[in-house]
Amino acid sequence: MSVAELKERHIAATATVNSLRERLKQRRQLLLDTDVAGYAKSQGRSAISFSPTDLVCCRILQGHTGKVYSLDWAPERNRIVSASQDGRLIVWNALTSQKTHAIKLQCPWVRTCAFGPNGQSVACGGLDSACSIFNLNSQVERDGNIPVSRVLTGHKGYVYSCQYVPDQETHLITSSGDQTCVLWDVTTGQRISVFGGEFPSGHTADVLSVSINSSNSKMFVSGSCDTTARLWDTRIASRAVRTYHGHQGDVNTVKFFPDGQRFGTGSDDGTCRLYDMRTGHQLQVYSKQHNGDDNDIPIVTSIAFSISGRLLFAGYSSGDCYVWDTLVAEVVLNLGTVHNSHESRISCIGLSSDGSALCTGSWDKNLKIWAFGGHRRVI
Amino acid sequence: MLVNEAQAAAASDQQSPLLSDTRGKHRILAEVKRLEQEARSLEEELEELDRMEKVSSTLEEFLLQVESKPDPLLPETRGPTNSSWEIWFEGPQEMQGCRCWIL
Repeated sequence: MSVAELKERHIAATATVNSLRERLKQRRQLLLDTDVAGYAKSQGRSAISFSPTDLVCCRILQGHTGKVYSLDWAPERNRIVSASQDGRLIVWNALTSQKTHAIKLQCPWVRTCAFGPNGQSVACGGLDSACSIFNLNSQVERDGNIPVSRVLTGHKGYVYSCQYVPDQETHLITSSGDQTCVLWDVTTGQRISVFGGEFPSGHTADVLSVSINSSNSKMFVSGSCDTTARLWDTRIASRAVRTYHGHQGDVNTVKFFPDGQRFGTGSDDGTCRLYDMRTGHQLQVYSKQHNGDDNDIPIVTSIAFSISGRLLFAGYSSGDCYVWDTLVAEVVLNLGTVHNSHESRISCIGLSSDGSALCTGSWDKNLKIWAFGGHRRVI
Repeated sequence: MLVNEAQAAAASDQQSPLLSDTRGKHRILAEVKRLEQEARSLEEELEELDRMEKVSSTLEEFLLQVESKPDPLLPETRGPTNSSWEIWFEGPQEMQGCRCWIL
């Protein structure tokens, strides 16, 4: 086949894909007969009502000397690992605010960190395009630093996000600026599977975030600068199970809903969205009316759901941390304007394993722990 | 497949324009195959949508499920509660604990 014929085939294939995408969009629209808020309000639901002192900052974790970029709670015992522009990981006892470990990284440009499922190891990755693993029980070296136990190399772009597979200390998933996600065997340092990449269908831009389904750890979602989120089955690397459209900007953060059947996203377009994993339906858009220049819309940097899923915590570049009532799609609190709020952008958010505390990390160099300190009514 | 072709192309970089035509052809062919694969996936998805229920059919179960789960961060929640929910406000607390700076 000549180049000219190939080019014609390319034009035809592009037209076919565009036409199919448009038909798909319209077919989906017909199935969106309501959204979560429309349905909930029709069933008489109203927004959660918080008193001003219900959610309080009960701990401030100070010690980083640079912006905090990432945090992760240990599965048990209220410990947190954080990663910062200062080139360090710090492991905190969140209850006492004490630092139990401070790890100076060989590559200071770290972007993400994660706690291992048994709480004994931490992982981090960043602009070195690698993911480093540290065993917290290792003997410290002469300089007081914990040695690296393993470096996972292979990505051809920055590592933006990493998460251990729940209950599998030896498996970890990373997402990268090379447009792929990778499932690693931490003990051997080998790539088990590569999701996306040049030939298999996958993201077409940097992949900024991953979230593994805690109800079915073979499934994970990824969010990308290509404005989509994609669902993957770790047993099938060749193509994404489903692609979720809707956002108009980079998808910076993805997080599974507690039931494992839905997931949330946050984007540069200033909105959060809730998707049904199985059907692909966009169930809800969480969007705040913004006064002023459209170019100044605060971007969503990070999200977390409360343990029931009733609350969606969303951190923004403005320093706001809106607490959305997920059922009625209303903001019920702003942790960015209460007493002891952060002074700068919130970059990362995470919920403790029992759901009793939320941790926020900020460009103001601090982490803060928030818990319910008001009068709780138990039904 | 694409990576190997790129390597082969780089190795013979100094050769005739005919080779650059070949490399261009391979790139276009790879892109065409990717588009055709995507078209097949989109067609499958369209067929799937024909059989799919509307959003509203799943929301009743969704609401009930969210509202039935105990949640320590809500002012009103179903039980049972857990004593671990209160640890953040128990005992002597120093809100700003260890303040040593890591240098």
